[in-house]
Order: sequence, then C-alpha cells, then structure tokens
Amino acid sequence: MGSGSSPCASCKLLRRRCAKDCIFAPYFPSDDPHKFAIVHKVFGASNVSKMLQELPVQQRADAVSSLVYEANARVRDPVYGCVGAISYLQNQVSQLQMQLAVAQTEILCIQMQHHQEDSALALPTQMQHHDDDDYKPFLLPTTHNLDNISQYINFASSSNVIQDPAATVKRESLWT
Amino acid sequence: MSSGRCAACRYLRRRCTQDCFLSPYFPSNNPQRFASVHRIYGASNVTKLLQRLPTHLRSEAADSLYFEAQCRLEDPVYGCVGLIFLLQQQIHSAESQLIKTQAEIAVMKSQTQHPQTQPFRAISGSNNLLLQQSDNDANLIFSNQVSSGFI
Repeated sequence: MGSGSSPCASCKLLRRRCAKDCIFAPYFPSDDPHKFAIVHKVFGASNVSKMLQELPVQQRADAVSSLVYEANARVRDPVYGCVGAISYLQNQVSQLQMQLAVAQTEILCIQMQHHQEDSALALPTQMQHHDDDDYKPFLLPTTHNLDNISQYINFASSSNVIQDPAATVKRESLWT
Repeated sequence: MSSGRCAACRYLRRRCTQDCFLSPYFPSNNPQRFASVHRIYGASNVTKLLQRLPTHLRSEAADSLYFEAQCRLEDPVYGCVGLIFLLQQQIHSAESQLIKTQAEIAVMKSQTQHPQTQPFRAISGSNNLLLQQSDNDANLIFSNQVSSGFI
C-alpha cells in the first residue's frame, strides 16, 4: 500500500518512507492516524513490528485489533488497563453462577416437595415394590437430602480463568 | 554491586543505582517478570507509563502490565482480549441458563398453585416443553432477557 500512494499512518507518524512491503501499511491506513498513535504510545512501533513479524499473515489483522483494544484500555485506565475489565467481567460471572445455583436449588426443592406430596398420596403397599436406593433422595421426609443437593447443581463453565494467565484462548476472527 | 541489581538492570546489563526507578517493581528475585514486560512493552515505555502515575499506584500498574504481557506471550494474536471474550461468552451463557431456570421455577410454582389446571410434569430443561406450557410468567421472563453488553 505504500508505493505511489500516501504513506500509511505508521510511516507518517514515524516520518519515514513507506516501503512497498511496509508491515504496518495493511493494518494502519492513513485515514486513521489515531489507531497507530495509540498503539505506538503503549507498545512502541518496534515492538509491534516484531510481534507482527512473528505471526502468520492471516493472523495479523486480529492481532492488530487486539493490540489497539489493549492500548485503548491502557490509555483509559493507566493503572489496570484491560485487567480492570477482566476483573469486572469475572465478578459478573461469579454473581451469575451464584444466582444460577440458587435457582437450581429452588427447582430441586420444588421437585422434592412434589415428589413427597405424590408419595404421600400413593398407597403404602405400592412403595414396597420399589428399590429404596432408586427413590432415596426423594422419599425421605427429612431435610437430610439438602446436604446432597450440591451434587445435582451444574455450574456454568469454569470461572477463575483470570487466576491462570497461562490459559490459552483460541478464537476465530472477531473483527470481520 | 552486581548482586544488588534489580531484575530490570540485570536484564538490561546496566548499573543499578540506589534510586533506580524500576527496582521497586521488578525485584531481582523475579527476572521473568521484567523479561515479559520488556518483551511486549519495552523498558522505556514501561518507565514512561509508570512515571505518569502517582507513586502509590505504580505497583499495581506494574502488576497489570506483567499480567497483560504474560497473556500476550501465551496468545500472541489475542493476548488478554481473548480472556475478555471468553468471559463475555460465559456471562451470556450463564444469563441464558438463569433465565431458563427462572422460567422453569415460574412454571413449577404456577402448577403448584393451580394443580387442577394441569398435572405436574417434571421439567426436563427442554425449551420446547416450556413453550408448550404457554405460561404467562415464563413468557415475561423470556421477553426480559438481559443482554451482556460489553463495558
């Protein structure tokens, strides 16, 4: 994109000749100078160049988008950057998981109540034909079964991802 | 005194003075910390970033820079942004599950209150079964879905 036309935003900012094979040109067009400016401010042009060079061409656009995102987050919040957003979202996940656990517990309680009512209405002789192990969680009229409720509760997919920064997330392109 | 150098000065192979700016945030016992941050941001950028902040916030800023640098090294394409999208996905999934579960509760409660209108049937978690119930409360819950909405 560099030859014959205006230099890309990077070369314009860096005040250098925009070569034909300029690594920045496809991702930092001249009509959006702010995009490169912010990435350069946080990461530095040479670091960005090194990062892009280490990636296959088809992944560079996404990498640039994520770098721009991180740089914007860092400028907005110089202390926490993206980590602030991650903490906030992780909190939301935890709260929702708790709400979900409460709701699922409520369902189990209602189901247990219904089963108890149903079994109370059934003729006593019918109950003897069943294996107690099959109905144990529901027939006992006491609250002891509430201790086993946790085994029935399905939590959402794993939280606590933030505590393991080594977790790698493979994603499809999100910016097309 | 080469043994007293902070991780930054040791990495950069320079003398670590008593008033070295980076030494409080990159102690010598964790060389990986500065190596990661330097690889992604560069020493001068890190110094500039930290210098712009009040002293009492610099330590946390250095921690967050290290975290983001580690994420970027682990995932060179998406860095910590990949984590953000994963968490958004988790939120969306948990919200959907919560709405569905609350609708099930509403249906079960209405059946408890009005047992003569419909015999109790255990909810299997199937959406089709819920829709067939045509319960007003369930419809309201589904129509009031909360969107995750990125900050």
